[in-house]
Amino acid sequence: MSDIILALRKATKLYAGVPAIENVDFELRRGEIHALVGENGAGKSTLTKVMAGVVTLTTGTMQVDGVEAAPRTPLEARHLGIAMVFQENSLVPTMTVAQNLFLGQELFYNRLRGIYIAAQQFLQSLNFDVTPTATVGLLGAAKKQMVEIARAVLHEAKVIIFDEPTATLTPEEKKYFFDLVRDLKRRGVSIVFISHALEEALILADRITILRDGKHVVTDDARNFDRARIVQAMVGRDLSNTLYGTRKTTVRPAGARVLTVQNLKMAPMVQNNSLSVFAGQITGVFGLVGAGRTETFKVVAGILKRDFFHGGEVILHGKPVRYRVPAPAVRAGIAYVTEDRKVEGFFETMSVARNIYLGLLAKLPGGRFFLSRREADKVGSTWVDKLKVRATGNDMKVVELSGGNQQKVVIAKSLVQDPDLIIFDEPTRGVDVGAIVEIHELIQRLADEGKAVVVISSYLPEIMALSDRILVSRQGKVVEEFSALEATEEKIMYAAVH
Amino acid sequence: MISALKDFADRFLGRGDATITVPSFDGALKPNQILEKAETVGQFEAPEDLATDGKVLYIADGAAILRLDAAAVTEVRRFDRAISALCCLPDGGIAAALDGREVQVFATPSASSPRTTIADPSMNAINALSPGAQGTLIATDGSTARPYGQWVYDLMERGRTGKVLSLDIASGRVRPIASGLSYAFGACAAGDAVFVSESWRHRMVAIAQDGSQRAVLDNLPVYPSRLSPAASGGFWLTAFAARTQLIEFVLRENAYRRRMMAEIDPEYWIAPKLKSGRSFLEPMQGAHIKTMGVVKPWAPPRSYGLVIRLNADGLPLCAAHSRVDGVNHGVVAAVEMAGSLYAIAKGPGRVLRAPLAMIERELRA
Repeated sequence: MSDIILALRKATKLYAGVPAIENVDFELRRGEIHALVGENGAGKSTLTKVMAGVVTLTTGTMQVDGVEAAPRTPLEARHLGIAMVFQENSLVPTMTVAQNLFLGQELFYNRLRGIYIAAQQFLQSLNFDVTPTATVGLLGAAKKQMVEIARAVLHEAKVIIFDEPTATLTPEEKKYFFDLVRDLKRRGVSIVFISHALEEALILADRITILRDGKHVVTDDARNFDRARIVQAMVGRDLSNTLYGTRKTTVRPAGARVLTVQNLKMAPMVQNNSLSVFAGQITGVFGLVGAGRTETFKVVAGILKRDFFHGGEVILHGKPVRYRVPAPAVRAGIAYVTEDRKVEGFFETMSVARNIYLGLLAKLPGGRFFLSRREADKVGSTWVDKLKVRATGNDMKVVELSGGNQQKVVIAKSLVQDPDLIIFDEPTRGVDVGAIVEIHELIQRLADEGKAVVVISSYLPEIMALSDRILVSRQGKVVEEFSALEATEEKIMYAAVH
Repeated sequence: MISALKDFADRFLGRGDATITVPSFDGALKPNQILEKAETVGQFEAPEDLATDGKVLYIADGAAILRLDAAAVTEVRRFDRAISALCCLPDGGIAAALDGREVQVFATPSASSPRTTIADPSMNAINALSPGAQGTLIATDGSTARPYGQWVYDLMERGRTGKVLSLDIASGRVRPIASGLSYAFGACAAGDAVFVSESWRHRMVAIAQDGSQRAVLDNLPVYPSRLSPAASGGFWLTAFAARTQLIEFVLRENAYRRRMMAEIDPEYWIAPKLKSGRSFLEPMQGAHIKTMGVVKPWAPPRSYGLVIRLNADGLPLCAAHSRVDGVNHGVVAAVEMAGSLYAIAKGPGRVLRAPLAMIERELRA
């Protein structure tokens, strides 16, 4: 039996004549953990989608256990023993966790109770704290990711591909995930995982492959890499000093109080939460998943509603506000840049320009009977240039952009509204290092211009690199505040956990 | 009818005017232990106010004016009534409000007799004095209904009878600048306007010469009190107690409050206090004051101590706290002198000294 379980030779995939991957050679050894690293648009997702049968190769070959294979659907790939856990999850939101786990394995007669018991036992064996009877749509991003992972493990795949598996996980959950991956490896399962967190690749992987612009750059043992070498190979330049590298030595002074949240309640996620946000500052909000950060700011932005009885107060520019829908919040100058861009951030089959124009329309009072295509193009072009969105044209569909550029479109859609308060929820999740630098620069610029900026992030280096003041959230309320000058990772994490 | 229905709905749902919330101590008001770490300069019987001419610190302690220099305390003069406010004048004089009803101005702190005595019948609870323009004094009168010592009654009765007065030192004439304030407690000239703390509305307002008012600092989590100028520009604003949801709730419940005032010893009212933790009869302000035997500093406090540093526009820059687990509560006055901040913690009867360098160091820590 060959040591190579999965191989791709001269793999090329063209989209409308443009290569997403070109002549890529890739080998996955039996029982190894193989990290796939590269900027957004480098071709990682395409390569893994080929393996998982989501797309087929234009030219080149793929071999599974030495036998040529060309899975045309994920089901065919699963029959070959290849399962994929997608970055943007592929669960059915209206079904329960257990139903999602056993989706595709239905019998003629399905006993729901039996499914729940089996799911409960299985999730417990993985140390995953997810209720099998919970509806998936009501779960947070991390829990959805857990269900995705559990489903792949349940299918007893020989090869499991993880696309950004840890982006939504808390440090504790990450530790469980790493243990799980190592356990899978011990059982002989081969793992391919894509991660933008380079430390994870260095810690977890046996070998690392780096792609750039759809081409294979290097594959080597993980022990031969360090962070600087990976980043240099990924982007072709040294970024180590610009990304989370420097510690803040000054912070911006607080301007006027823009937002005050007082005793906000939204059971069960937000519990008597109080905080303030000031103009001309970046307020970082850190917390583990379930700390109620996103929910608090979604209430502020009118996306969620606070408790009906004694739900607390949101005060914007000194006046109490209560938004039932996001439109009045947008008109009042609040922009919320979502953490889940694919679901909430844009219309993926619409063009870049139209998506950005939609943001502008949301700000305008009343409705518009006629829309100006010229105005949409003009607004689109302006913001594509401003944020350096890498698209072939204004009419390019957002779905065709890389993750980083999609995120820039989402940000442009909010900034076109000229808000006073901008809430970035996980602004660089699933974004490559090059785009991270650009997005961070943009956030800093907004604060310098006097805007009140909130950055919600689960990634501590990001919080520490960006924030002037850091609020730590735990169990639905802010429990601690640090100035960026006094904050350390240990202090923040301690406050978030204890 | 519609407003009555709306009021009922708001009370039922806890919305609108019936929202019972308090802002958090964050941003420039981020909690610390600076007032707890401050040096205790002295323990006094009934310290009430501080004044400085830049060289010497004067303390109003009961009916006496004390002078503090080089750690020695000497009595400068004694009155027959308690002093409710004190201030030094730019010409070297000193002014004192007695029992809230009379203001005496002396040419020097040790002068044998007052230069001017102002005893206007409209004055009832003068609680702060500050130099004004063109030989005047700015005085805040907390309440026309209750004497100064009964400030808690005024709060529980939701008093709105506070006034700001301009007292002409030469003629003794009294001119009202503003009225209808929810307990005016502290004033300071700020350019053409006067900054005034309005305790029961948790804010600081700027009152222009034409009497128009503008909120400078709004929705504070505390009950603000006296103001004094800072040496490098801006102001020091003190606060003697922190707001809690329980007190806010009681302040909305008129029948409950009336019964509480009629039947319960004021010492044990659900109301802000200058000191706490002395009796088990005191109503707790929350359930989690002690956990595992440790007083949690984020528990809702019955009493509190705070001094806020404001810039010239009235925006807070930083603050010095004595939190729920501290003792230096009931801070009613603070002045800056010779690179240090002096404050009165009326609860324990202390005068505190915190060097500005220490405050800066603590804020950076």
